Amino acid sequence: MIWKLLRQHISVAQLAGFFLANLCGMVIVLLSIQFYKDVLPVFTQGDSFMKKDYVIVSKKVSTLGSLVSKGGTFSKGDIADMEAQPFAKRTGAFTPAQFEVSAGMGMAGMQLSTAMFFESVPDEFVDVRLEGWTYREGQDEIPIIIPRNYLNLYNFGFAQSRNLPQLSEGVMGMMTLDVRISGKGRTERMKGRIVGFSNRLNTILVPQAFMNWANAAFGDGRDNAPSRLIVEVDNPADDRIAKYFKDRGYETEGDKLDAGKTTWFLKMVTGIVLTVGLIISVLSFYLLMLSIYLLLQKNTKKLENLLLIGFSPAAVARPYQVLTVALNAAVAVIGVLVVCVARGSYLDMLGRLVPDLEEGSLWPALLTAGVLFLVVSVLNVVAVRRKVDSIRVKK
Amino acid sequence: MNSIELQQTLPEVFAGRDTIVSDVWHRQVAFQKGKMYLIEAASGTGKSSLCSFIYGYRTDYQGIITFDGVNVRKLTVKQWTDIRKRSLSMLFQELRLFPELTAWENVQLKNGLTGFCRKQQVKDWFEQLGIADKWDVKVGKMSYGQQQRVAFVRCLCQPADFFFLDEPVSHLDDGNGQIMARILKEEADRQGAGVIVTSIGKHLPLEYDRVLSL
Repeated sequence: MIWKLLRQHISVAQLAGFFLANLCGMVIVLLSIQFYKDVLPVFTQGDSFMKKDYVIVSKKVSTLGSLVSKGGTFSKGDIADMEAQPFAKRTGAFTPAQFEVSAGMGMAGMQLSTAMFFESVPDEFVDVRLEGWTYREGQDEIPIIIPRNYLNLYNFGFAQSRNLPQLSEGVMGMMTLDVRISGKGRTERMKGRIVGFSNRLNTILVPQAFMNWANAAFGDGRDNAPSRLIVEVDNPADDRIAKYFKDRGYETEGDKLDAGKTTWFLKMVTGIVLTVGLIISVLSFYLLMLSIYLLLQKNTKKLENLLLIGFSPAAVARPYQVLTVALNAAVAVIGVLVVCVARGSYLDMLGRLVPDLEEGSLWPALLTAGVLFLVVSVLNVVAVRRKVDSIRVKK
Repeated sequence: MNSIELQQTLPEVFAGRDTIVSDVWHRQVAFQKGKMYLIEAASGTGKSSLCSFIYGYRTDYQGIITFDGVNVRKLTVKQWTDIRKRSLSMLFQELRLFPELTAWENVQLKNGLTGFCRKQQVKDWFEQLGIADKWDVKVGKMSYGQQQRVAFVRCLCQPADFFFLDEPVSHLDDGNGQIMARILKEEADRQGAGVIVTSIGKHLPLEYDRVLSL
């Protein structure tokens, strides 16, 4: 009955205007957040077996340094200083091999053999999920991670020019390398198995345990200072990192800091879009409030009469509150649906660009929609109630 | 609620006047439950103001108004809502009906809130007051006298300690006035309620315990 009385003067056009405007704002806000969350991994994604946020640091190789053969190595003091930096969560050193390595591979009746080197980093920098990244003394087979570039170099350079078959990562993983290790007058033949390819580690990596054993067995006993450090950082986009490295004359390797820049631009663009969406949302919220206020104003006399014949302000305010909350809920639901559809189309494209991208969830959009819905609804409910109260106490 | 008391009450707009001759303003007046009062007033003596002060929708007065000794200025919103639903029934001079609703819907709006009267009871009253044929007619299309009777029925649709009727018969003939008086008396007696009626000319014909002039 109250509703029948109060629904008069409701302007469908105004509410439709609010609805569309709010929907627009909502979709922009949700889509920008969802897009940001979906696309961010493209830039921050690392090798699947490596911890994500790390940088590899080396000293600049200078002409003078080359001449006096003063190596660009890190002293213990350098490492301690790096560890003390607030941005560095963990610091590890690359351990170079102190023995000679050559590896060969037989294929299609052709023997390829080359001198190589090994390096290792502490195992905690390699994700434990990587199976087979273990070495026990006496084990004949060495797990190896090589740069993906090497494979590309072979596939698109060497194999093409020699009419050799191209190799996939899977096939490479099945093949074994003949590894010859020599030092201290000893030589040992072992098998090498490629267990992973790295986009970012420009070295041939073996497990730390193997390196320790081999250095002890074949090495010349020198305690080589590391020439490269691997540093796990909180946030690669942190400008303190760049400043620290610049001050020390260190160089970083890998695309991590570039990714930081890209991420920053992504953040900025998303931020701008988000702001526009929020502004539209706020304006539409304002529109709804104006519309409801106008409605209340037109119905002032009725509201006053209802209050005077014994209706509580809460009961009188309720129809308007239900109306606004229902509208907000509809906007939130439709907004999420629209985002679902839009997301479907861009995910397709994203999937084609970056095939092994982890599928994100819809949670960011759902959560944002929920929060926006709650905030706007609470504000609406409170505003309507205050307006009704103002009618009650009118003198 | 057993009594409504006015202690030295005066509308603020009268504050500047030197002499006020009244049985109500600037005096100690008490209305007791179970009794009938007639307040006679000339135009401009503050009759509507008195109604709005007692019913709590205006507070621009001096002095004190109490319900059972409680200052009405201290009542909360919830208490006012309860009083308007259960203790104090007002027939407004300006009726405060909803013209877009039918006569029955107007009554039902209040009755739905209090659940006090059965539909048959309301029908009986409509019949007695000669507006049974207006049951489904929008109030906006009825004459003022007919509307007055609808508003009267509505004000009966709640439990009450006091019925406060502001010029209830201004647009009614004597016959209908008598019917209204009879129904009111029945209801007031049944609930032991007090009745306060204002008038600027025509009186609702009741046996008043006290007649005051405003």
